[in-house]
Amino acid sequence: MARFLAGKGVQYALVLLFAVTLNFMLPRLMPGSPLVFLAGEDTAFMPQAQRQQLLQAFGLDRPVWAQYLIYLGNLARGELGFSFQQGRPIAEIIAARLPWTLLLVGLSLLLGTLVGVAWGTLSAWRRGSVFDLSSLGLFMFFESTPSFWLGMIFIALFAAGLRWFPIFGAQTAGAALAGWALVTNRAWHLVLPLATLTLITIPGFFLIMRYSMLTVLGEQYIATAKAKGVGETAVMYRHAMRNALLPVATVFMLNLGVIVSGATVVETVFSYPGLGRLLFEAVLARDYPVIQAGFFVITVTVIAANMLADLLYPLIDPRVRRGA
Amino acid sequence: MAGVAAATLPYVRGPRRRFPLGSVGAIGLMLLAVLVGAAVLAPWITPYDPEQTSGAPFERPSPRHLLGTNDIGQDIFSELIYGARISLMIGSLAALVAISIGTAVGIVAGYFGGWADVVLMRLVDIVLVVPFLPLMILLAAYLGPSFWTIITVIGVLVWARPARILRAQVLSLRSVEYIEAARAVGASAARVLLRHVLPGVLSLSLAQFIQAASNAILIEASLSFLGLGDPTAKSWGSILYYAQVRSAFLTGAWLWWVLPPGILITLATLGFAFTGFALEVSLNPRLRR
Repeated sequence: MARFLAGKGVQYALVLLFAVTLNFMLPRLMPGSPLVFLAGEDTAFMPQAQRQQLLQAFGLDRPVWAQYLIYLGNLARGELGFSFQQGRPIAEIIAARLPWTLLLVGLSLLLGTLVGVAWGTLSAWRRGSVFDLSSLGLFMFFESTPSFWLGMIFIALFAAGLRWFPIFGAQTAGAALAGWALVTNRAWHLVLPLATLTLITIPGFFLIMRYSMLTVLGEQYIATAKAKGVGETAVMYRHAMRNALLPVATVFMLNLGVIVSGATVVETVFSYPGLGRLLFEAVLARDYPVIQAGFFVITVTVIAANMLADLLYPLIDPRVRRGA
Repeated sequence: MAGVAAATLPYVRGPRRRFPLGSVGAIGLMLLAVLVGAAVLAPWITPYDPEQTSGAPFERPSPRHLLGTNDIGQDIFSELIYGARISLMIGSLAALVAISIGTAVGIVAGYFGGWADVVLMRLVDIVLVVPFLPLMILLAAYLGPSFWTIITVIGVLVWARPARILRAQVLSLRSVEYIEAARAVGASAARVLLRHVLPGVLSLSLAQFIQAASNAILIEASLSFLGLGDPTAKSWGSILYYAQVRSAFLTGAWLWWVLPPGILITLATLGFAFTGFALEVSLNPRLRR
């Protein structure tokens, strides 16, 4: 198992290195001075003396490898740069936004996995039935639907139309709420974005669980259990489902990047103040340092989640534990 | 033993409905035929030039404008038909780029093995872990929104999964007798690759291409929705971008401005997905469930 984790560790380190190096290279590969990408487009019109000052402040007059080392050092200290458009340190901006994204993504991942796995199991158990076929159709539809469009439809129907839910935001602006009232208000704002993101998370888990269950149900040990006289429910849960869950765990890790990407557009549609929406705003404002920092933090979060899943995986697959 | 299982397992009880594979592929092809046909015939079937202001802004659907007009007064129905051209073209070209890279990587890694295999598969792993949309947003922001930016950005990330699948195919081909025979006779690697390996993976490549196109259309819609699409060529995603910016979903206009583009994106994605799925299963009967 130590080898398994070490191998994964190397992989994640490489991903991190890739993300960091890409962020470093991009402004320097573009035609013209990287200053435009690091400090804003106004710098193109600045007097020479001021430009020189900025160049020195950003270390752009040093050799590239020195810049790279300084850059890595900064990242390690959590120094993510300065947003010239918002006039604030980027680390501050991201610290305010990250919790919202974690909340949205975390909850939809949880819900999506639970519903997908349960539904997939049932569907496999009743394979070929109307329930199964219509479930397949339903989830293939949701898998092919653009998440932002689904969000817009929900807003049109339930928020603007029926007025059951708020149209945007994570909580009612300006209202001085506290304690339980604050939690309820936030939950109320969370319903539609959560529903949207969960609806596109479920299909992946549903399909994998269903396929996995069908494979497991054809195995010899299931027939043995039935022959022993084990009850139907016990066969389904204790024998089939537990083994069918293994590929799901793998898919879970692969899906993380996809769900975070989905959250990016969902947050934009619902004006939900998370990292995804921050990226969108930064693109509109051409605030490149924020785009890069946002991408970096999102990547780090996905890697952290992957590592957590890798640590938990041996708990459900004993074969990995024993190093078999 | 298998017979006992079949007789006693509950999911076999009752009429056993085999999944009608032929109709899945048929539905897929039909969807594609309609959408591609509309895209190709666009200049002849659109009532108005989508770039022209042909009515008042925010008009409701009428016999004159089947789906009403947008905020500038352009006919939405015409926009959708021309949008089909852009969306389908970008999706197909991006998938082409992705499959070209993926096939090349799969063949090299699978056939030559060794450190080339290790390096390439590590690359695949890296590409699969990175959250793709934030990366695409970063790249598109730097490269500037344009037709070819989107194609490149999508192609450069979507190749990874097909590469893995194609590599597996090449690995199984490598030990097939006629390839071993060819190598024993002294055929050069290039000759074996071109005359034996490549034809072997071609049909799987095609199936993967179609699946990749399905993904690409969905991703392109997201990127255009975020404002990173080609500003001169409105795809379905771009139409939704403008709908969002003008808050169409807050008014009744969502029915004819927001609903149709999304439905079309879904149908296109489904069309490719069904066709690709049917093709892949027909190539590999073991997948038939």
